[in-house]
Amino acid sequence: MEDAIFVDDLVKSYDGRKIAVDHLTFNVKKGEIYGLLGRNGAGKSTTIKILTTLIKYDSGIANVLGLDVSRNGSEIRRRIGVVQQEEAFDFTTVDNNFKLYGMMWEVPREEANSRKEMLMELFELNELKKKRMYDLSGGQKKRVQVAREFMHDMDIFFLDEPTVGLDPIMRRNILDYIKTQTKKGMTVLFTTQNLEEADYICDRIGIVNNGKKVAEGTSSNLKTKYGALRTLKIGYSSDRKIEQKDILKNVDDEDIIEIDIGESEISVVSGKIENVVSQVLQNLSAIGVKSDKIMIDNPTLDDVFMKVIEK
Amino acid sequence: MRIPAFMRLTIRNIIVNIDIGTLIFMLGLPTLYLFVMGFMFQGIVTTGVPLSSGSTVSYTTFLAPGIIALESFTAGNIGGGMLWSDRRWGMFERIMVGPFRRIDYLLGIITVSIIFALVGSLIMLGFALLIPISVVVTPESILLSIFAIVVGTMLFSSLFLIISGLSKSMQAYNTITIVLFFMLDFASTAFYPITKNTPLWLRTLSGSNPLSFIANILRDSLISSISSSTFFYAGILLIVMLVLLGISLRIYKSIRSGI
Repeated sequence: MEDAIFVDDLVKSYDGRKIAVDHLTFNVKKGEIYGLLGRNGAGKSTTIKILTTLIKYDSGIANVLGLDVSRNGSEIRRRIGVVQQEEAFDFTTVDNNFKLYGMMWEVPREEANSRKEMLMELFELNELKKKRMYDLSGGQKKRVQVAREFMHDMDIFFLDEPTVGLDPIMRRNILDYIKTQTKKGMTVLFTTQNLEEADYICDRIGIVNNGKKVAEGTSSNLKTKYGALRTLKIGYSSDRKIEQKDILKNVDDEDIIEIDIGESEISVVSGKIENVVSQVLQNLSAIGVKSDKIMIDNPTLDDVFMKVIEK
Repeated sequence: MRIPAFMRLTIRNIIVNIDIGTLIFMLGLPTLYLFVMGFMFQGIVTTGVPLSSGSTVSYTTFLAPGIIALESFTAGNIGGGMLWSDRRWGMFERIMVGPFRRIDYLLGIITVSIIFALVGSLIMLGFALLIPISVVVTPESILLSIFAIVVGTMLFSSLFLIISGLSKSMQAYNTITIVLFFMLDFASTAFYPITKNTPLWLRTLSGSNPLSFIANILRDSLISSISSSTFFYAGILLIVMLVLLGISLRIYKSIRSGI
């Protein structure tokens, strides 16, 4: 599939000293949602600023929609939508902010009106439309900031931590709406600190640290590769007092990180859970304890993130 | 029909700036100056105010062109200040990643300033005619008046663009603009004539104040007579505007819209 974004060996430093983007390489396919994850100052926002033609890069390749960002700024800017990390709004009413966007992006008036009505409804902004932007809460402003981008058509949507300050329901609504738009061909480059939402929305994820890409893949690939610690939970009912040595008989000590024996549940944390499960169940059976529930917790993207960044 | 990018930004600037605060700043204060200050001083300056042509007019007649000149200053302040406001509230960055070029943004600011100044001047002229004052209407006087208002507005837009570009904090920006507002407004010939009794330092300050040049051109064009000194003021105004515009362009180019 064609690349909507192609970044190769990209370098950006500030004042020739602080390297913000350090030989970064990644690509985003058309219609894909790609998440850039990283700690504060990892280079995510700088990468978005380069790709949206806001700042220049030092070396490497940065192509958007097949166009070099350093030479085709005007063409690229016509075809993208951007939600910056910082607040960005006009000092007027919510309604006017939408209208102005339609006018500035040359959306025909009738179409702009119908889009505005639809977005106001979808993003639950109807009650706020007469309010001035500075009277809104942080989350409400962010909602307007994301919603008004859909006033105009775009091939790629760049979102730099767009859900900060939003309540969980609205966050989910916005993510779902973005997902539906990608089905129509829109590509998304998304940065977030919220790993749960990256897990929910992103087709692929790139983790950056100190400007370098340190891991990349689908959420499940990353979890398999890096999310080594998993928890085995076994529910049971028995009058017999269970001891640790009963459970861990013939289990390699090195495979066990932590064990907790509760009144109705045993949990075992292991780096090699596949080696542990059958032996632990056999041991329980051997002492006459019947398990009524067996569950293995999947690793979260948080686990992956921590592990990759620590590495 | 496609509207050029800078005009779309101009329309945006008009919509964003039309609020009660701007209307008071642009029309309310000058109207108060014209009627309250005008009639109060007229009660004191009973002998009239001498013009450069040698004739004498009432204080309100003298003041009216000065108040019209103020519209250029105020509109320039509003326009140039938009860069500060847009940088502060993130819209500058957003516009820069939209379907616009940097020059479109600048043209949008200068155009809205000129529109505000011309409309404001026309309204003030209307109020002045109610006083009433008699105005000279010839093609030359109209052209020179428009020239003074447009060039003067571009000059003040450039000045406030420079301040917007250099200011690091809202406090610094506000302090500088307030000081400039009082200094340029009151140390000019907009409100008072320069006479032989004016202290030399104030005469120098007022004589080199661009607002004085605009007021002098408007006064000569509208209520006195156009002379060689009118064209001298116009020439100086144009040169100062071009210098300030050049500086503002350099500063504007160096503004990092990102980090």
